Amino acid sequence: MAEQIELSSPPFDSVSNVRFSPSNPSQLLVSSWDTTVRLYDVEANEQKAKFDHRAAVLACSFATSERAYSGGLDTYLRELDLPSERINHLGQHADAISSISYAKDMNSVISGSWDRTVRFWDPRAPTPQTASYNVPERVYHMDLVNNTLVVAMASRLFNIYDIRKMDSPQSRESSLKFMTRALACMIDGQGFATASVEGRIAVEYLDPETQDKNYAFKCHRQTISDVDHVWPVNSLAFHPIYNTFASAGSDGTVSIWDHKLKKRLRQYPKYSGPIPSIAFNCNGTKLAVGVSYTWDEGEQGAKTAESPKVFVRTVGDEVKPKGWTGN
Amino acid sequence: MAKKKNKQIIRPWCWYCEREFEDEKVLMQHQKAKHFKCNMCPRRLNTAGGLAVHIQQVHKLEPENLPRIENALPGRDGYEVEIFGMEGIPAPDVADYKRRKEIELGLNPGSISQPPTKRPKVENRALSEAELRAQLEAHKALMGGSESANLPPAESSSAAVYGAPPQAYAAPPVPAMGPPVPSMSPPGVVPPPGAPSPFPPFAVPPFAPGMMPPLISPGAMPPGYPPMPPGFPMPPPGAILPGAPPFPMIPGGRPPFPPPPFLPPGASPPPGFSPPNAAATPPAPPTFVPASQQVQAPPPSASATPFTPPPSVPPPSAPPELRLPDPKLSQTNAPFKKPTELKWTDPNFSPEEHRAINTKYYFPKDVTSHQQGQSYGQGEESRGKKRARAEDLF
Repeated sequence: MAEQIELSSPPFDSVSNVRFSPSNPSQLLVSSWDTTVRLYDVEANEQKAKFDHRAAVLACSFATSERAYSGGLDTYLRELDLPSERINHLGQHADAISSISYAKDMNSVISGSWDRTVRFWDPRAPTPQTASYNVPERVYHMDLVNNTLVVAMASRLFNIYDIRKMDSPQSRESSLKFMTRALACMIDGQGFATASVEGRIAVEYLDPETQDKNYAFKCHRQTISDVDHVWPVNSLAFHPIYNTFASAGSDGTVSIWDHKLKKRLRQYPKYSGPIPSIAFNCNGTKLAVGVSYTWDEGEQGAKTAESPKVFVRTVGDEVKPKGWTGN
Repeated sequence: MAKKKNKQIIRPWCWYCEREFEDEKVLMQHQKAKHFKCNMCPRRLNTAGGLAVHIQQVHKLEPENLPRIENALPGRDGYEVEIFGMEGIPAPDVADYKRRKEIELGLNPGSISQPPTKRPKVENRALSEAELRAQLEAHKALMGGSESANLPPAESSSAAVYGAPPQAYAAPPVPAMGPPVPSMSPPGVVPPPGAPSPFPPFAVPPFAPGMMPPLISPGAMPPGYPPMPPGFPMPPPGAILPGAPPFPMIPGGRPPFPPPPFLPPGASPPPGFSPPNAAATPPAPPTFVPASQQVQAPPPSASATPFTPPPSVPPPSAPPELRLPDPKLSQTNAPFKKPTELKWTDPNFSPEEHRAINTKYYFPKDVTSHQQGQSYGQGEESRGKKRARAEDLF
């Protein structure tokens, strides 16, 4: 088994989000700035479906292995029917949709937008939008575990919701001093990891009583002739079984961390460009890695950027905590 | 020197089990752990002889009762050969191993086992007159034949190249790509193959939808698609009835052949992409000109459309500047203690927000034009603002 494969028909412009199906370990969605969302079978290395949008797509999310949601600069939340490749428009934000999560238990789609709202949608209802909640800043990232929704916003703000009672969020300021760039919730629902543009990851716990366990560490940086080069950490992903997590940065590296032992388990060989998004599949055997320009150097950098690539890496014991016994 | 070269090809290997190692140190560690380990106590010895002496003296075993060397290949489990790393391996075994390695690596026989041939010695002395003459004769013999036989044809062939009418070579079936426009390329110009293209192939309309060539019905063929690849069997142009589609259409609007999935954009540009001088140079050979272009009047390349950007690009309303929704929450980056190069320095707007207002990506929000919850079929969506629909192709 090859350690990693490169998808043979990647998007034509930067990858914005890679997401695996919740039930099918080889189904991968890739949203892109080329205004498409593509569905791949990574086992066969085949593009199975393509959805065109009117503008760049920033976020996508599976609901089931046959249904997915997407949103982006054109502010619409779309339902993508994967087998028939049909698009159904659920509704609209006032600004770009930056993040989408799907709450299986409630059959709700949750979208976060730069318009400073988090909205809930019921795709089956005649009026899909069921609720809208104002947040103090532009939503950058969201992640959901069980009933806990963590919303990372601009100005280093966080809101933590219980999606069953959305009116009383826990508000936090990031423990990192720089803009929040990535967010992922632990699989066990105990906490979450966030990362900033300044090569740093914070591990935070949800329980207000155990806030002293929170910590942060530096990563995705390099000292070149006495100058610290510090790259944004663009994506975090928790392993669905071992609860370790992977981080990816604009430096082109992917690292695996054991947040309990506070140890790095592995750093993979560097990729040829920045990594905007990573994701584990549902059984934790594969890690999708999007490699493409992340606009860190503005329009100038786009001229010299390499063409986008998507890799799917087969992971082994390196994602397992040392001495893993089953829990 | 030769030995060093060998080492680059053949890595240190263990005589006992024929495993390869990164270097000799690791090999020795391996031998100590796997082959020279006493199975009666934890002691590890450096050589087979050492192990034999240890077992005889410490564990009081007779020489004939010595256990065989562990984990060794059959026939190599004895104490007769004194091996230390790569030293002491019997020469026939070395040669045999190298030969097998050559076969395994697909090298020429002898490339590992024999040292590289030395440069032939060149005597550094003045040549005698006889030798010089002989060499000159040899050289002449070598060149002379070709001088008389090859030169005239070479001349005539070059004359054929230079003297030929330009039409014979101009206008190959695949028209040259439009000149790459350096800075802001209009969407009609496809970037060179291999360059990261923001657009899906064929999705870029060379002309605005309203200016579509009259004979191609909009549903039947997407505008950006080349009507006919070179080599596609086609009826003579005269056989096509005006107004009829140039080739039989499959219901559902798909072109009769699937687009090459990984064709780099621009590899076979549609007729609209012909350089502007295509109208001046007679398109030759005529049989290669796509039929649709023949019957069209005027051909799209003759009009100025391909090089005037469609009205929607750049967007009619210029992208706004990034504005903080709540200035009270404005952030500043903390200073660094050490000299630091931070790759993203804007504390208030993410790279995506900056990218979203770039002219290439900017999308004017039309919040009022559509009602929430309204559902669209796939075909009804007006997505013509920036790019043509591409899903017909896939």
